[in-house]
Amino acid sequence: MNGHPPRLADRFLEWFCDPYLLEDLQGDLYELYESNLNKGRLKADSKYWWLVLRSFRWSALKKNRKLKNSGLMITKNNFRIAWRVLWRDRFNTSINLLGLTIGIACFVLLGLYVQQELSYDQFHSKKSRIYRSWLKEDYGEGQIFINSHTPLRFESFFEDNFPEVEKSVQYIQQTYLVGRGEGRINERVAIISPDFFEVFDFNIIEGNKQLLRSPDDIVLSQAYAKKYFGDLDPIGKSLAVQIGSEVRNFNVSSVFQDLPQTSSMSFEMAISTENNSNLFGERTLKAWFSVIAETYVLVKENASVASIEGKMQEVVLSEMGEAGYGDGPIQEGQYDIRMQPLTDIHLNPDVPLGNAPVANPQYVFILAAIGLLVLVIACINYTTLAVGQSLKRGREVGIRKVMGAHRGTLVYQYLSESILLGFMAMVIGVTIALFLIPTFNTLTGTAIFYAFHWWHAFVFLGIGLIIGIISGIYPALILSGFKTIKILQGNLKLGKLTLRKSLVVFQFLITVFLISTTLVIQKQVKFLQSKDLGIDYEAVISTQLYADPAADRISQRIATAMENGQLLKSKLEQNAEISKIAMGTHVFGTSGWANLAYTDDKGVFRWFRLLVVDAHYLDAFGISMKEGRAFEEGNGLDLRQSVILNEKAVAHFGLEDPIGKKLPGSEFGDHQIIGVAEDFHFSSLHTEIEPLVIVQNIIPIVTGVSDGDIVDSITPKLVFTYSGSDLTKATEILKREWESVFPNESWNFNFIDEQIKSQYENEARMNRLIAVATFLSILIAALGLLGLSLLVVNSKVKEIGIRKVLGASIFSIFRLLAKDFSIQIVIAIILSVPLTVVLMNEWLENFAYRTDIGVGLFIVSGVVSMLVAVMVISYHTLRAAKVNPVQSLRTE
Amino acid sequence: MRGENLGELEELVLLTVGSLVNDAYAVVILQEILDNTRRKIDVTAIHSVLRRLEGKGFVYSEMGGASRERGGRRKRYFSLTKSGRQVLDETMELRYRLYQKLPKFTFSGL
Repeated sequence: MNGHPPRLADRFLEWFCDPYLLEDLQGDLYELYESNLNKGRLKADSKYWWLVLRSFRWSALKKNRKLKNSGLMITKNNFRIAWRVLWRDRFNTSINLLGLTIGIACFVLLGLYVQQELSYDQFHSKKSRIYRSWLKEDYGEGQIFINSHTPLRFESFFEDNFPEVEKSVQYIQQTYLVGRGEGRINERVAIISPDFFEVFDFNIIEGNKQLLRSPDDIVLSQAYAKKYFGDLDPIGKSLAVQIGSEVRNFNVSSVFQDLPQTSSMSFEMAISTENNSNLFGERTLKAWFSVIAETYVLVKENASVASIEGKMQEVVLSEMGEAGYGDGPIQEGQYDIRMQPLTDIHLNPDVPLGNAPVANPQYVFILAAIGLLVLVIACINYTTLAVGQSLKRGREVGIRKVMGAHRGTLVYQYLSESILLGFMAMVIGVTIALFLIPTFNTLTGTAIFYAFHWWHAFVFLGIGLIIGIISGIYPALILSGFKTIKILQGNLKLGKLTLRKSLVVFQFLITVFLISTTLVIQKQVKFLQSKDLGIDYEAVISTQLYADPAADRISQRIATAMENGQLLKSKLEQNAEISKIAMGTHVFGTSGWANLAYTDDKGVFRWFRLLVVDAHYLDAFGISMKEGRAFEEGNGLDLRQSVILNEKAVAHFGLEDPIGKKLPGSEFGDHQIIGVAEDFHFSSLHTEIEPLVIVQNIIPIVTGVSDGDIVDSITPKLVFTYSGSDLTKATEILKREWESVFPNESWNFNFIDEQIKSQYENEARMNRLIAVATFLSILIAALGLLGLSLLVVNSKVKEIGIRKVLGASIFSIFRLLAKDFSIQIVIAIILSVPLTVVLMNEWLENFAYRTDIGVGLFIVSGVVSMLVAVMVISYHTLRAAKVNPVQSLRTE
Repeated sequence: MRGENLGELEELVLLTVGSLVNDAYAVVILQEILDNTRRKIDVTAIHSVLRRLEGKGFVYSEMGGASRERGGRRKRYFSLTKSGRQVLDETMELRYRLYQKLPKFTFSGL
């Protein structure tokens, strides 16, 4: 041989290649190497390497004893045997498979919901560096204001004063009339900084790649481009937006991709913050105390938000200078700006609401826990059944042990069965879950959206593996722990099986707990939806009125909208089915009624809610007076200065014998308390009734207040009661009359009762989700019991036969067989009571008004679970008890 | 029937083994295929096919004929077994039968 092929390659070949094949393969490769040498050493060497690597095939691998006894080879064999075992015992296998499949499907659906809730705002590539600023002002004496809306000057405040800040952008949400002539629509329009998309990962897909280059540009989402321009190319077209009294034409400059569902921000059209001086006025631009915009801050890489917060007070004090709240400049700690991570926004109810709704993290946690529990119940099914089966397989274990199997090998063998089952259930369960997503969404009112990514397959398989191991490990340990000698002597006993029994108890504990939970939540939701609120709202319809666009003072807006309302009212009055027409700034079922504050004559800072109405409002909703009188139609004094309080307000202001008195404050205009209304619930039952001041003229009150927070629109609404039978007729009448009075405005309506119900939509949805999970867990536990009862029956065939011969009745045999299970279930029911009481009371703390849990509900859930259990058990037991003893005793 | 179907490369290698009486080992087979079909096949592929054919029982192998350029390592000579011959016969017969059914001329161009 001239020269040797690369030694390393040679050694690699010798290492992996089957010795039986090595000699000739290596010889052939040498021969080729030799003939390749004339093409150059380098070429021959690399060719040799290539051929060695290509020889690394399954068929050429060294399959020595070491390989055969471990890893892949044994696994393949194990799974083959596992498959045979599962197939042989089809009844139990299908029970296990069904249970696991249902458990996994439920787990996956709830998991997807939870995952979606957790994934809000996670798609932004700079998410870890984006923070939303929020403001906490604390001037002592309860004068605390917390806002995640911030002043307009914050954008430059951050960029100018903190070198750590790379960019700062603002997002304002306003409602404007969009379009021209008929079909103008009230739309939410976002006002965003031109560099907004440089911070957030939203994409422009059509038109100018640069967002909002001029103040006259408007950008639309895909959906809205379609809504306003259909299939036409929207770029360069104009869109009219009424801002104040002026109708401005904006130029559509680009279209952006619809914002994902998992974005906490959601806007469909946006204009530039360069319009701010036009929209809000120069003074507001410089103000420290008008909160309007959400301010997002992009922190530089390697910079920390802690260093920003660290010097915040120093910067605030030097920037604000003489500006202050009340008398004198701001003091340290009074005006604190804090930073909230972007990804924290969706699930943190502690920071006040910004432009986006916030979900309740407690509910997400509860649902995640329930998903897991249902899965655990399904795993327990496998465990208990497999333990029950283990006696049958004692001989198999004995033989294996005699042949020299180690305990580890046996554990591995038996785990293969549960893992195989876990994988099968995973594949079926996931498939079912994915198909059920639309049904699940309609059933529970969620909006799950699923997109497959390849790595999900690994997650699913991983979960399948874990399920297999968890459910199989206990039976595997029991089986492999049998003493060989005892097996072969034939006196194998399972012992007391305390663990198995406690698993069954645990399974039923969870099931009964879920039933009770569903019932408690349902009871509370029913309670919330049917509690007497102190108002009549049956068949009441509200419609949002329009204020004169030119009116910019609150009092003018209210007055002009009420004038419009009078026009509509005079038309509606002509319809016989319509009665009790009234107007007010707020209606029931909306949160955030005008909240005002002032410092009273004793120096106490007081908040109260304000409602501006016409003379008919209280009467229309059947609100009764406790003292004094209600407003009278045509009473000039009432129109100017009369005030009505609710009972809470009387106590709040510390008034005794309030009629004829004034509110305790020096700055209010002329006013006089004429009556006290009985307390009624005007906000959701999550909160207590708050003090409420009711007036017809807002001016005397607003002159006396120093702070305010108005979430619900204060523009008046008109309400009326429809006495006909068909509510859709009512909306038709409204539409007709509306269009005859205001041909250019789009009409709208709301049913007050639906609005009130929808305040509890979160609770109702959770109730539906838990109900589904409960139903499934009952099903799974029943399946497990079915399998267990069959095992018990089979092991006692002879005993039953002998007892029957001796004259036992069917009932006494049933009692014999069902006794064990009944005890376990009764223990589970008893244990579930304290668990439910503790956890559910915690949940009920969320509500200011709540139902008590009550005994009745435990009786219901106990009886339900007992009934299900008895029904399941009796299927096999009764069959066994009816068998003619001759048949069971004939063979021995 | 399982194991009796021949892949295209398998068939080619099997035919070559049969034609190279007493002299069929991987490198020669490779050369023979190259000469006859101008197809350059990797020697590792030939090895893999031969192992498969041996597993199916179509060829039979024995060792012998060490030489200097092989670093003193022996060659593995392959020869056709009875069932190897049979499967070749069947394959050829099937092809011939089908071929006979072709029309004498093809009219695709007209």
